[in-house]
Amino acid sequence: MSQLAFDPSKVMDIDYTKRTEYLEGLEAIKAAHKVLKEITYTPSLPDRGYNNRTLYVNVDSLEVKEKPVTQQMKDVFIGGRGFGLYHLWNAVRPTTRWNDPENEIVISPGPVCGMTQYAGTGKSLVLSLSPQTDIPIDCNVGGFFGPLLKFSGFDALELQGKSNKDIILFIDGVKGIIRLEEAPTDPVDSHVLGEVLTHMYAENEADLPNISVVSTGAAAEHSLIGMLNFSFYDRRRKCVRFKQAGRGGIGTVFRNKRIRALVIRGPKVAGDLNHPADPETIAKTGIKFHKEIRENDPHQCMMRRNGTAHIVEIMDAYDLLPVHNFQYGSHPDVHKIDSSYWQQRCTQLTVDGCWYGCSMACAKGADGLVLKTGPYKGHMVTVDGPEYENTAGLGSNCGVFDPDDLLELNFYCDTYGICTITYGTLTAFIMECFQRGILNKERTGGLEMAWGNAEADLEMMHQMARGEGFGRIAGLGVKKMKEHFIKNGWGDPQLINDIGMENKGLEYSQYMSKESLAQQGGYALTNKGPQHDEAWLIFMDMVNKQLPTFEDKAEALYYFPLFRTWFGLNGFCKLPWNDVVPANNSSQPEAHKVPEHVQNYVDLFSATTGIKITKEDLIMQSARVYNFQRVFNIRMGKGLRLHDAAPYRSLGPVTREEYESRAERYDKQIVDEMGLDPTGKSSAEKMALHREWRTKRFSMLMDAVYTRRGWTLDGVPTLERLKELGLDAFPEVVEVVKQHLS
Amino acid sequence: MKQLVIDFTKCDAGRHCDHECELECAVKVFKVNDPAQAALQIKAYEDGGGHAVLCDQCGDCVVVCPSEALKRNKLGVVIIDKKVCVGCYMCIGFCEKEAFMRNSDWITPHKCTSCGICVKVCPHGALSIVDVPEPALRII
Amino acid sequence: MLLVNEEPLEWHDGMTVRDVLCARNYRFPMLIIHVNDALILKKDYDTTTISDGAVVKVIHLISGG
Repeated sequence: MSQLAFDPSKVMDIDYTKRTEYLEGLEAIKAAHKVLKEITYTPSLPDRGYNNRTLYVNVDSLEVKEKPVTQQMKDVFIGGRGFGLYHLWNAVRPTTRWNDPENEIVISPGPVCGMTQYAGTGKSLVLSLSPQTDIPIDCNVGGFFGPLLKFSGFDALELQGKSNKDIILFIDGVKGIIRLEEAPTDPVDSHVLGEVLTHMYAENEADLPNISVVSTGAAAEHSLIGMLNFSFYDRRRKCVRFKQAGRGGIGTVFRNKRIRALVIRGPKVAGDLNHPADPETIAKTGIKFHKEIRENDPHQCMMRRNGTAHIVEIMDAYDLLPVHNFQYGSHPDVHKIDSSYWQQRCTQLTVDGCWYGCSMACAKGADGLVLKTGPYKGHMVTVDGPEYENTAGLGSNCGVFDPDDLLELNFYCDTYGICTITYGTLTAFIMECFQRGILNKERTGGLEMAWGNAEADLEMMHQMARGEGFGRIAGLGVKKMKEHFIKNGWGDPQLINDIGMENKGLEYSQYMSKESLAQQGGYALTNKGPQHDEAWLIFMDMVNKQLPTFEDKAEALYYFPLFRTWFGLNGFCKLPWNDVVPANNSSQPEAHKVPEHVQNYVDLFSATTGIKITKEDLIMQSARVYNFQRVFNIRMGKGLRLHDAAPYRSLGPVTREEYESRAERYDKQIVDEMGLDPTGKSSAEKMALHREWRTKRFSMLMDAVYTRRGWTLDGVPTLERLKELGLDAFPEVVEVVKQHLS
Repeated sequence: MKQLVIDFTKCDAGRHCDHECELECAVKVFKVNDPAQAALQIKAYEDGGGHAVLCDQCGDCVVVCPSEALKRNKLGVVIIDKKVCVGCYMCIGFCEKEAFMRNSDWITPHKCTSCGICVKVCPHGALSIVDVPEPALRII
Repeated sequence: MLLVNEEPLEWHDGMTVRDVLCARNYRFPMLIIHVNDALILKKDYDTTTISDGAVVKVIHLISGG
């Protein structure tokens, strides 16, 4: 793929600093704030990546306290997702549900987080019991809040309790102040609220980049799919932008606790605030990686130009792009929303990292969108440049191929505080139900939910934000919609269950797994639900044929989920691992693991913490947390084999049209894989053969994966495995598992 | 904009001098007695001639700097504001001329400011400061 | 006939690595290609010709979100 010639005059006709202003009412909003509690504390900076204390805030009792980080926490849980799970485990009981006061939201950055010399080092992990799945959900999110929390003196923030009024938590990491304020008249939606609060809490203009706001929007109050926006100040655009902790409804928990926003004011960032053990190694590794991006990105993924949207056309070419609720893998209109379009539509010649030092800079921004619908109709806004997931989920999966519609859907998802992936998949489900008569205009309250009808799609989203009509039902997510439709007798229960793309209550993200058994496992045999951040094996399995046996697939489903868990323990982003590779990568052993980058991560961890690790230790660190999370799921009454079941749409063709669209491939499989003759058989007969074969194959995959992971065939980690990982030091963990081992 | 240039018909790449330019830069500008820290580096080729690592003020680093610590001054010279710099070193990694410098003792990187101190001490008169038009910013 | 990622592909005289990628619509930019176990570098895709009966492996690196 060659680098396209770039003509700035064609793109930069939008003044990227121009947008609708929201600061007019700031003083009045501020005046209405009432201090509920204020304490002082001694700010600190991390030593070798750790502050060795966390912050606990109860938004009901207004209790604010520091908690020590123990050596055991660091040894076993590392940080990030590990600390989040640890705190959450201690906070909840097996009977706790998402809206109980003891449920927590934990934000935890990880020891490496806040490093400025390597790409993708500003991530924090957000955890809570999910309203969609009733088990822990974890989101890996960018923006400045995580790093600034660390530089204000805390390795994690626990939020517990439920307030009876709308509140803001403000942490001033410079002055050492923690304050809970009642916020009765603040704006609700993130793009306004983030802007207002950033200016309200910054002491002057130079202070704006030291502020980060966590917020959600109107739809989080009326749905189970609420998301959290983590802000960062874009110096060039002179506006507040956001990265999203999207999956699983943490925004819903946030509003259920009546938290309006978290605001942090950190110190001015410098390159050594983590006080790493070996800054020289970090500097050298970082510079080497920046050079690698400069030299290779223009002829590899072009992440700096296109962000993750670079794979829209790739997925389409490989028949893997979800189209019409994961029925098909490509569409002739995809060129309207592929990366060559977004490259022109997203502002170039600016800085798009979501934390300092991110040379991969995938956070593109589309400027100058004038909204056509909703409460902000007529406003000019900057939209988070559609990432792959948004383009596929809100776009092709729902048959929406107009880029302005897609941007508007993307914008409202973000500002209303709902997950774009979830919204895309649930809307695709609704549209297919509409196509098949399970839904009709009467049942949707007049919404014509036909493929590609962006107007109805947007209206449903506005309803979700208002808590009205069919939007409110849609906001329950696919799992609860399935139950609702079946209970009402609106269609064949099996069909409804087959096409509703959820597992554990969470909606699938935007890849077609039908033709890749390993990816079927990569989605369903996960801790939090079907999300591609554990394993993305479609190419390895389906295209490369690198995983011919069940054991090979199981090995990949052992290694990659553990390797990728590690990013979230430390505050890393996954993208710089494999969206650029060293020029000599192809001649390295195990090139698909990108060995030089794995070594970079080993070096960066060791250089930050002073604890020398190897790449095998890295996997071991993840395995502890991964298995702890599995046991946590079991403790919450889930986490067993039956909860890993996958909807049939993710395994194979549900409908005749789907079968016939790939008849050649499917007929061949009947001959090659099943040893039968498809001649003379009807599509229905052939589909039944496939269903039997594919379901059985998935079950065999489960056996192989569980065995490789050291679990029983019911998916329970064995005592031996827990011992190997040192998790037997936690009697409660052992107790949970024992009840399931006989 | 002011730009430092070198004339290799005059510079003999240190064969008959003591790299006065580098030492003067290191001592006078960066206050270190180590020519390896200078913002220009003259290297000799084994088979004669040589090349110089020096900043031509192209502005690529201004484009990639996430904290807006790099800006052109009135003379068009790219200057780093150490108080604003976050030490990410993207300027170093993205400099095609490898003219952005770093040493282990400082958290912020450093570069040539076209100040001309080196020009005055070159025994061969090979260095000079010229005034050239600023190139347009480019997408990197 | 060639074997490309274990599937047959019709061979023609003068066929290059690039021709194989086009025939299979392999558009992903990060590939590792071996022809009869010999690594072919990206710069040589256009000039490396493949003989009939060769075994071609086109490994796509991991991508996705």
